[in-house]
Amino acid sequence: MIIETREFTRVEGNGKAEIVIEDGGVKDVRLKIVEGPRFFELLTLGRHYYDVPDLEARICAICYLSHSVASVLGIERAFGVEVPEEVMLLRELGLIGELLESHALHLYLLVAPDLFGYPDAIRMAIKHGELVKEGLAIKALGNRIRDLVGGREIHGINVKPGGFERWPGVEDLEVIERESNGLLTLAKRSVRLFNQITPYGAQARHFIATNGYLWGEKLTSDDEEEFHYTERIEEHSLVYSFAKRSRYKGEPFLVGSLSRLLLKSEMLTPTAKRFFEEHKNKLETGYVSYNNLAQAIELVYALERANKIAKTLLDMGIEGENVPVEPREGEGIGYVEAPRGVLVHHYRINGEGKIEYSNIITPTAFNHAMMEVSLFEEAQKLYGEAGEGEMLQRLEETVRAFDPCISCSVHFVRG
Amino acid sequence: MMKKKLAIFELTDCGGCALNILFLYERLFDLLEFYEIGEFHMASSAHEGGHYDVGIVTGTVSSHRDLELLKEARNRSDYLMALGTCATHGCLQASVEMPLKEKLKAIYGNEGNPMRALEPKPVVEYVAVDLAIPGCPYDKNELFQALMDIAKGIEPTTPDYPVCIECKLNEYECVLVKKGLPCLGPITLGGCNAVCIRSGLGCIGCRGPLPGEVNPAGEFEILRELGYGEDYIVRKFKTFARWEP
Repeated sequence: MIIETREFTRVEGNGKAEIVIEDGGVKDVRLKIVEGPRFFELLTLGRHYYDVPDLEARICAICYLSHSVASVLGIERAFGVEVPEEVMLLRELGLIGELLESHALHLYLLVAPDLFGYPDAIRMAIKHGELVKEGLAIKALGNRIRDLVGGREIHGINVKPGGFERWPGVEDLEVIERESNGLLTLAKRSVRLFNQITPYGAQARHFIATNGYLWGEKLTSDDEEEFHYTERIEEHSLVYSFAKRSRYKGEPFLVGSLSRLLLKSEMLTPTAKRFFEEHKNKLETGYVSYNNLAQAIELVYALERANKIAKTLLDMGIEGENVPVEPREGEGIGYVEAPRGVLVHHYRINGEGKIEYSNIITPTAFNHAMMEVSLFEEAQKLYGEAGEGEMLQRLEETVRAFDPCISCSVHFVRG
Repeated sequence: MMKKKLAIFELTDCGGCALNILFLYERLFDLLEFYEIGEFHMASSAHEGGHYDVGIVTGTVSSHRDLELLKEARNRSDYLMALGTCATHGCLQASVEMPLKEKLKAIYGNEGNPMRALEPKPVVEYVAVDLAIPGCPYDKNELFQALMDIAKGIEPTTPDYPVCIECKLNEYECVLVKKGLPCLGPITLGGCNAVCIRSGLGCIGCRGPLPGEVNPAGEFEILRELGYGEDYIVRKFKTFARWEP
């Protein structure tokens, strides 16, 4: 017998699961990504590098800046271009804006209704309007930063190899400095709220992240310092899904907020670090549901870090000079932490600046195997113990904890 | 007043068109004075089924699953809106000119099509819609106004001028003439308030071509005189709108 879930709701994109029942027990679970294929890498083949980040941004609306920054980093590395500190700080600020926007959406609008027993945040707002508004306020600051750095709330094209077309002004940065400070109280409150989450899903055994907090030169994991994705991660296609599945040393692994906190807590800002220490024992159990709590702690981190970056840039003063970019034959990998985990853009570019090879791996593809293991263990726990409705509800919550971005996950190619 | 029933149907896309509705923030609550949301899978687990007064479809039809959902959306909605460039023109994900079989092979490494993918096409290729709002992403104010108009029984108006007009109204410097950037503003449908030119960037045509009296051949000539190659220009023209409505 096969029990099929409905298409998951309150997640980005279209997916569902099949639970295979044999001899009265759960034998297998398959995660089916039904979002159609999107062919992004084919789209960029043969194109001039300058246009590529604008197109790659459109892989995902929730994390468009992560895609354009990863794309720009891959291109700059292929050409051997080095950019000054202010460019990297502004890119990081953009990524932080994205993290605020994405985590606030996920926690307040998608996960909170589960905690309070509503089908959505709109119906939840009747009794918990303040909470929904708090989430929207954090989200709005995130979007304001995305508009400023990226050029638009969604799919802006301001992030370019070598720098930016439009540079933020002093007033813009002052607003960010002020608002990030003002919203910190709300973020701290969110940590208390999402600390109520109970353990469910599987316990991850391997964690992977970039070696810097929001971007890196290489990847890092729980048992290894630095490596390229090509050295350790294998991917393969599945007949029942438009997404591929990845494994690290033959095993499923987790990317995202929980992995970042566990691997890089020493890089956290003071208050975020204090929260991490306070909840460390819980987080270290590796239950995927605690990714929600980890995201709440990251809201605190993101606001503190945004404040620090705005201050630093205001003190330094922005020069606003782009680095000249000269195409040359080369290969480069951009590693970025999208809000939901490690994102890889890998390019080979020819002497005329045209893309010859492109490979993109998104966080939800990295998490695909871990999502299946989690669904399997949760289904095993609940099948026969709880009603079918309750089981399906919990399975959906389990998938939701990964904050999956299904749109992103459906377009890989090695070509 | 009876609230109208609204449903949002998501086919294959980046999620931005659904997300942009949530980016209305407080104005979302203004909309909810007139509408009740029956189905909106990104934001809600509610699934009422039945009849809807207004249906919004985002994304391209990229699989049989999408096609089934689209038919359902059309059959169940009195007023159907194609929202965003994927739904109106196909956008990036429909712009790869290669047979579907080859595309699938390049990506998944085999010839089969177990998930029943279809050649990606815009919604308007399959069903008639009552309103099409393009944009990657569309302008959220335009959607807000359209939904308010529909609620009040007024037929929404849509822009019928190029991005250039909005650029001039904002007094931005012309990036095509002054910087020689490949700006598609002269032939692209306006309504975005020239947001990319605000940043000193050329328009990349995300709202699709302006229907009617435009002169793509003239734009082509200008870009060629600026030194851009023919292949480059053709590919740029077709990036967001290989499928014209």
